Amino acid sequence: MPTFSEQLKGRFAMLGLVVLLVLGSLLIRAWSMQVLSGSSYAAQADQNRIRQITVDTARGRILDRNGVPLVTNRAVMSVTGDPTLISRKPVIARLSTAIGVPVAEISRRLASYKTERLKPRLLAIDVPMSTVAYLVEHAPEFPGVAVQEAAVRQYPQGSLGAHVLGYTGEISEAELAAEKLPDYRLGDIVGKTGIEAQYDKVLQGEKGFQQLEVDSMGRVRRVVSEGKAIPGKDVMLTIDSKVQAVTEQALADAIAEAHRSNFVKARAGAAVVLDLQTGEVLAMASAPTFDPNQFIGGIKPEVWASMTATDSEYPLNNRAMMAAYPPASTFKAVTGAAALQNGIVQPHSAFMCKGKWTTMGEAWSKWCWNHSGHGAIDFTEGIVQSCDSVFYEIGYRMYKAKGEPLQAFAKSMGLGSKTGIDLPGEVPGRVPDAAWKKAYNANYPEAQAWLGGDTVNMAIGQGDLLESPLQVASYYGALGDGGKVAKPHLLKSVLGADGTSVLETKTEITHDPGITAANLATMRDALVGVTTRGTGRAVFAGFPYQVAGKTGTAQVNNKDDYAWFTCYAPANKPRYAVVVLVEQGGHGGSVAGPAARQILSALLNVKYKPVHAVDVSR
Amino acid sequence: MDRSLFKRMMNGVSVPLLLSTIVLAVYGSVMVWSATRGMVGADALFKRHLTGLAVGLLPLAVLWFIDYQKLKGWAGPLMVALSLLIISPRIPGLGNTAKGATSWLKIGSVSLFQPSEPAKLIFIVVLAAVIAGYNGKIEAPRDVLRVAGYAGLPLALILLQPDLGTGLVFVVVALAMLLVGGLKPRWFGVFAIIAVLMVAAVITLPVLKTYQKDRLLVFVDPTRDPKGAGYNLAQSKIAIGSGGLTGKGLQNSTQSRLNFIPERHTDFIFSVVGEQLGFLGAVMLLGFYLALLISSLSIATSSRDLFGALIVAGIIGMWTFQILENAGMTMGMMPITGIPLPFMSYGGSFMITNLAGVGMLMSVWSRRYGT
Repeated sequence: MPTFSEQLKGRFAMLGLVVLLVLGSLLIRAWSMQVLSGSSYAAQADQNRIRQITVDTARGRILDRNGVPLVTNRAVMSVTGDPTLISRKPVIARLSTAIGVPVAEISRRLASYKTERLKPRLLAIDVPMSTVAYLVEHAPEFPGVAVQEAAVRQYPQGSLGAHVLGYTGEISEAELAAEKLPDYRLGDIVGKTGIEAQYDKVLQGEKGFQQLEVDSMGRVRRVVSEGKAIPGKDVMLTIDSKVQAVTEQALADAIAEAHRSNFVKARAGAAVVLDLQTGEVLAMASAPTFDPNQFIGGIKPEVWASMTATDSEYPLNNRAMMAAYPPASTFKAVTGAAALQNGIVQPHSAFMCKGKWTTMGEAWSKWCWNHSGHGAIDFTEGIVQSCDSVFYEIGYRMYKAKGEPLQAFAKSMGLGSKTGIDLPGEVPGRVPDAAWKKAYNANYPEAQAWLGGDTVNMAIGQGDLLESPLQVASYYGALGDGGKVAKPHLLKSVLGADGTSVLETKTEITHDPGITAANLATMRDALVGVTTRGTGRAVFAGFPYQVAGKTGTAQVNNKDDYAWFTCYAPANKPRYAVVVLVEQGGHGGSVAGPAARQILSALLNVKYKPVHAVDVSR
Repeated sequence: MDRSLFKRMMNGVSVPLLLSTIVLAVYGSVMVWSATRGMVGADALFKRHLTGLAVGLLPLAVLWFIDYQKLKGWAGPLMVALSLLIISPRIPGLGNTAKGATSWLKIGSVSLFQPSEPAKLIFIVVLAAVIAGYNGKIEAPRDVLRVAGYAGLPLALILLQPDLGTGLVFVVVALAMLLVGGLKPRWFGVFAIIAVLMVAAVITLPVLKTYQKDRLLVFVDPTRDPKGAGYNLAQSKIAIGSGGLTGKGLQNSTQSRLNFIPERHTDFIFSVVGEQLGFLGAVMLLGFYLALLISSLSIATSSRDLFGALIVAGIIGMWTFQILENAGMTMGMMPITGIPLPFMSYGGSFMITNLAGVGMLMSVWSRRYGT
């Protein structure tokens, strides 16, 4: 039996054991949290206190080849809202009235892009000063709302070159999902079309960032670290704003001229001017056009609807390279060069035009545009007069020859594939051949065979042949430059922060079909003949430079004829390639030709007086 | 002063107890200073903390000088005083409500102290007097009932305040004293069953306030309320864990400085220790507590009588439980209640009570050889 004192000691020993257990378990717990899991908790602590926000930077400008600004930035006032504002309905309602943006739209913008929880959301941009003054005066009624300076695109030349320049807008969910633009976040302003889209990475610059330390209430205490934003670089284009202005005016005049000659459906067209040695695009116009200012701060739905309606003629489309047409008689230059190269004709090979071509028999007979016939005519004059009979015959010979020589030559000049111009959305056009026709009519076995009529049609630029105005300009340029096709391009250089060039586009020869000098000379003489004594003589009467050109009048199902004129000039010392197309504009020599003269006058410093020419050829 | 009394006093200095008390008080002051940096009125808070320490020296000295044995005869009046103290905040004109519980004694607009704090010590003295009467053997149901009555009345009153934290302290203190006082083991079993039944009743019946229930249930399921009590717990754990081995340095910790830790100078001072001084700081603190409790245990075994041993056992139980509950809650081992950390947390009444406890231990120690 233990004594009382011993009993007490035993009981205190138990109490001591409890004390040790308590302190020991706390020790083990602290060890496990601080030593074993310390780094994971440390990461959580950083996540608690560090927030990263991006810092936007100014978008680069777009200049013409002489440094004339085409797209710049304009400082405007914008209204931004703290994301926490979303739960404060009365403030949103007041704000909606003040800035004229619907409540639903404000809420949508506040709730967007959850990744950047601290970044104020843009609610309205280019806000009038009266609104700014109201918001500032009534600041207590608008907690979490800030008025800030922001930059929007400005177009000092108005809608000049709108199709080339393109427009900008807030990045779409689809663009983000497609991950075409990996570093981008929702809310970013990106190029949507044209140069703005093509060189977005260059223009965009690099966003900066700020790592902010926040307290438990989310209030910013200090900037932990930051990366400075690098402003976007300026882009200098090959476009000459003066030539561009003349080209757009000439295209508009051509459409007006078409209306005067009773082609009242003419509303659309395109024109391209190339420096044929370098491939530089000096001007590129498309009608109808649009006002890029309408995209600033987001386009209004009703404006967008009017620009994309079926009867709108789609003003956003750059018809110079996003659309392909039957080239009609302009293609005779290709057919002719192909025939010369393949030995199918000689410059003075004799032909007979009786108005109706019947080589393939009466059942397959075809009319020349001149129903009364050109009579005895040689190859060169066939081009000059744009005689269809001559080219039906050549087409038929091509059909008989092995290896589809016409198609092969057309492709060797780059037709049927994209030129590779630095603009998004280019179409490749089409060079039809036996393989294509079989695949195209896969479901119609009776229509799969390539027939003589197909090559005959193609020889005069009709049938299934399609070319973009840019492609036409490109290969006419090649005919003027030793047969070498230079890749058309719009970027002249990228300018660094100090305004000096950091990147320049070099001339790139993409195709060279190897046309002999003699054949090039034959073609040049024939094309000069067109503007001196042929279908384009009225257009170029009195023009002080020799122009190697060709008219074209394309037949399109259920439409009025499409008017073409294309050329290179001066013929003896070629520098420029020009093409003009007017959809449903009628005859090339009457409508497109004068526009080409107008453009060449500006290029060659010739005083321009409007010409009225009548052309009945095709 | 009578010469023999002075000699006894000097004889009666328990150096380990005194040293560990001083070290803890200094450690606590440093941490309260560091934790309050950047808070509104930080300097005033720190001054009030030091004032509490200074004021606490008075009851420490008084209780040291008074012969604890004289208290034994005062059990009845002390019981009455204890009950009045517990219900005093309920008396119109004296109370002050904070966080749904009436726990401050107030006269006019002057907050005096939290009566629940000195109540703990008085509870220990009363219970020690009752238990000591059984000479280390509590067996008969009649005796058990009487002891349970003395313990149960103040417990019931404090739970009605409602002050769950102090109630839990009363329970643990009573258990420690009953262990030393010789309660037969099977009675502990009976108490355990009764306790389980009561907890079940409390959770199902609408006795607890919603915030108290939330705090308790969050312990079971931390995702229950991530921005409320669960948020506090999560942030406290992040603070302690992120302190790592050596901590982020005084004043330097992000969780404290950026207000992620709630009530960081009071209930969550251990989180600040863990974050700023790391595992080494926590080990140091637990080491000081070990020294405090071991020296207390040695005082208890040296006591000249059972009454003194029971008082010491009660104080050891009080401190041990408060350390476990407070440090444990900051690390997610215990439910969140408003129990502070002895000698470390900011809070005058609490500090003074703990220093008074040290005075009682000194009194027992200095009279170990008899009069």
